[in-house]
This record gives sequence, structure tokens and C-alpha cells, in this order.
Amino acid sequence: MKHVVKILSLLLAVSAFWITLLQAAIVPQSHTWLLPIYFVVSLGCYGLLMVGIGIMQFPTCPQESVLLNHDIAEAKDFLSTNGIDIGSVTVLFNTKA
Amino acid sequence: MELADRAVGLLLSSISLSIFTYYTFWVIILPFVDSDHFIHKYFLPQDYAILVPVFAGVTLFSLLCVFIGMVMLKSKKKKA
Repeated sequence: MKHVVKILSLLLAVSAFWITLLQAAIVPQSHTWLLPIYFVVSLGCYGLLMVGIGIMQFPTCPQESVLLNHDIAEAKDFLSTNGIDIGSVTVLFNTKA
Repeated sequence: MELADRAVGLLLSSISLSIFTYYTFWVIILPFVDSDHFIHKYFLPQDYAILVPVFAGVTLFSLLCVFIGMVMLKSKKKKA
């Protein structure tokens, strides 16, 4: 509940600022009309940038991947010798931290 | 595997940065430039600065609705 109130108050403050800017005409009026769209586009751009940076910095641990594959092979071996039938599931994936 | 991840991340961030700078130029800087400067050749007329984001937003929203509708139909079919 509190988070929604924070976001709504922020939105209200930004719209009040925009309306006063429209009335005061410090910046040319045609300019001011484009401001909300500009902010929405820049917000979308910022989100995309954060996603891109997060993808670039995603840590991987290749040693864990090797160990995990080893464990999987061992487990399949054990289960097949003890009579439980595993459908040929060869899962080879990169372990991400 | 890591290299592919980093390439995708780099591509995404470069796309977002270029869109941001192009749009900033278009909306904020260009109106203050004289109308016979050469830089106006590289930018579409200002009306498109509103149309393109609105069109993209509407397309995104409609794709989202289509996706949600398809998921709902699929779940209904599975139950029946």
C-alpha cells in the first residue's frame, strides 16, 4: 500500500510541475507538450539499458558446471545399475551462480 | 556461452543508448537549431517524434493483449 502511495505522489508531483511549466511559458509551449512522451521513452530506454548491463555482468561458474555434469553421470550410472530406468536425458547446461 | 551473453547485453545497451540520444536530439535540441542547418536532414519532421513512440507503444500493448488472450484460450481448452 505504501509503495503505491509513493508512486502516485511522485506522478502527481511530476504532472503538477508539467502544468506549471505550461502556464508559466518559460520554455516555448510546443516544447512543453512533448515532455511526457519524452519521459516515457527515456524511462523505457533506461529499463532496456539496465537489462543489457545485467546480462553483461551475469556471473557464470564453469567449474561448477563440470562438477555438476560429473554428478549427473554418476547418478545415472547408479540408478541404471540398480534397475530404475531413466529415459535418455542428457542435460548439459552451464551452471549460473 | 559467456561471450554470447555479453554480446547480447552489449547489443541491447547500445541500442537503448542510441535510441535515447537520437530521441533527445529530436525532441529537445532540434527546435532550438535554425531551420536551414544541415543537421535537419538527418531527422524526420517533428510530427513523427510523437507518432513513432505512440505507435510503438500501441503495438506493444496489443501484442501483450494477444499473448494473454492466447494463453487464456489454451488454458480453457485444456480444462474442457
